[in-house]
Amino acid sequence: MNNDVRARREERGLSQGGLAEEVGVTRQTINSIERGRYDPSLELAFTLAAFFECRIEDLFDPDGDDAM
Amino acid sequence: MTETGHRSGGGSGETPTVSTRRRYRRLLFGSVGVGVVANVALRLLSYPVAAEAAYWVGIVGFLAVWQFSPVTLFDERDAELERRASTVTLVVAAVVLVLGASGARTLGALGIYDAPPFVGGVLYGYVGLFVVFAVAYGWISGTR
Repeated sequence: MNNDVRARREERGLSQGGLAEEVGVTRQTINSIERGRYDPSLELAFTLAAFFECRIEDLFDPDGDDAM
Repeated sequence: MTETGHRSGGGSGETPTVSTRRRYRRLLFGSVGVGVVANVALRLLSYPVAAEAAYWVGIVGFLAVWQFSPVTLFDERDAELERRASTVTLVVAAVVLVLGASGARTLGALGIYDAPPFVGGVLYGYVGLFVVFAVAYGWISGTR
């Protein structure tokens, strides 16, 4: 699944670790999401969307590659 | 072991959890590591009772951190990794059990090779693993 997390994170000047702190997961999880290797749970997707003040479908594109 | 969780909402200056989680995870695995290393060292120094005491201090430390940590120790990706690793482990165990049990029986029946008793013990151990898995699966599926 493709996503816009990296662009939005960098737009806010946040590191992966910083975003991880904000949403309560590990830096590795953010890294895996950004690289499309891990699809977050619905709960985490909502948390990320709320953090970036957008809708989930603005952040994640289901037409991307399959991930873990 | 892995339980997951993360805060809802974001960017509102809530208490950081990730660095705390990292610290408690180090404490979790560190307590077992120190206990095991101390156990081996004390046994080598011929203090068997003290060695077992050190081991159990490590185990109790692990359980205490796991139970009383103020933060969730593993996030959802950790849980996914653990689930996948568990699946691979079960597949490996199943292959060893299916091939090993049949092979040992066949070779024994043909008089080619009699497997030592510990092989049977290992295979029965795997059978026990699958019994535990089946019971756990049934119990969990009944609660979800």
